[in-house]
Order: sequence, then C-alpha cells, then structure tokens
Amino acid sequence: MSRSIKKGPYVPAKLAARVEKQKRSGAREPLKTWYRACVVVPDFVNHTFLVHNGKTFIKVFVTEDMVGHRLGEFAATRTFRGHSGRKAKEAAAAAPAAG
Amino acid sequence: MPRIVGVDIPAEKKICVALRYVYGVGPKNALEVLKALNINPEARAKSLTDDELSRIGAYLEDHLVIEGQLRRQEQQNIGRLKEIRCYRGMRHRVGLPVRGQRTRTNARTRKGPRKTVAVKKGVKETARG
Repeated sequence: MSRSIKKGPYVPAKLAARVEKQKRSGAREPLKTWYRACVVVPDFVNHTFLVHNGKTFIKVFVTEDMVGHRLGEFAATRTFRGHSGRKAKEAAAAAPAAG
Repeated sequence: MPRIVGVDIPAEKKICVALRYVYGVGPKNALEVLKALNINPEARAKSLTDDELSRIGAYLEDHLVIEGQLRRQEQQNIGRLKEIRCYRGMRHRVGLPVRGQRTRTNARTRKGPRKTVAVKKGVKETARG
C-alpha cells in the first residue's frame, strides 16, 4: 500500500533543514546523510548528497529527473564484479577499471 | 481484412477481441471504445462498415496512447531510469529483474537462455592455462 498523501513525502525534518540552510547560504557542499529512505523533493535539485551505502558514502548530485525517488536508490549497497572463469579473467585483463 | 490504425489487421474474430491486436488495447479498453461508439462488441470484425472502422480508428488515436507512440513512451520511461543511475535503472541496464525477484533461480525471462558454466576440473584447467 502506498503512503497517505495527507502525510506528504517522507523527508526527515533534520535533512530538510540542512538543505534549507544550504539554500540560504548558497553553499554547495555535499550533505552527508544516512537517510536513504528520504524522498527526493524539488527542493533538493542541484544539491549534492553523500548517501551512505552501509560502508561508504556515495556522491549523488540530484537532478530534476530524480524527484520522487529515494536517496537510497542512487547509492547501491551491493557490488557485483562478475563471476569467475576464463571469460572474466580475459575481461579483467582487457579493462581493469570498469564501473 | 479490416484495417484499423495503420498496419493492424484483426481477423474473423469478434470485434471486441480483434481490437486487442492493436498494441495498447486490452479487454477493458476494447469494450469501452465499442460502447462509446455504439458498436455491437459481439459483431465479427469483417462485418463492420468502413465508416465504423474509421470511427474506431479515430477514437483510439484520440483517447489512447497506442502502437508506436506507446512503445516510444515505454522506452523513454526506461531510459529515464537508466539515466538517473537509480537502482531500477541499473537493473534494466544489466538485464536482471527490476522488481526485487529472486535471481538465484528462475528470472529466465530477463536473463535469457541458461548459460551453463562447465564444472572446473582442477588438472585440466591448469594444463590449459
């Protein structure tokens, strides 16, 4: 079941306040946050967040298209580097640094 | 054979079924369209007059997103997800299920035919390598 519209999008007050503060001061430093479940609202556009993925912080620059998604969707919690085997070894040799 | 909105050629079926051959028209839409236009949904597609066919075509194009336009819209939506680098977009990129299904088994629709990996035989592998 989806969230009641009455409540509005889930944006922790703390984080909203920090974005608001940054907006007023004009600073553009990345905001470190653990609020992965926080919904991206239009106020966030053009701000940068450092979203925790359980281990490190992933830099997320919010664009207009991201509104309505949650911060956590942009900071993957799992890394899949491929299966082992001959093919994997060849690929690793050809392109060592692949995202 | 009757023709509705371009290339679609429904057959000897009832019109409410034949209409579903148009991409983007399902059972519900088909019946709604026919009701709005006062056409008997049980009538065979071949028995419809040219006038009725053109009216159906016009109605579909006015009220629904169908065929190429719908396909383009779907692709755009997926493209958007890919572009913003969100989890769902990444799943689309790597061709795995997007909605949290298990991938340990099944998920063949997304993953395609099984790619069996040969069991490693220690001696043979080292000899080749």
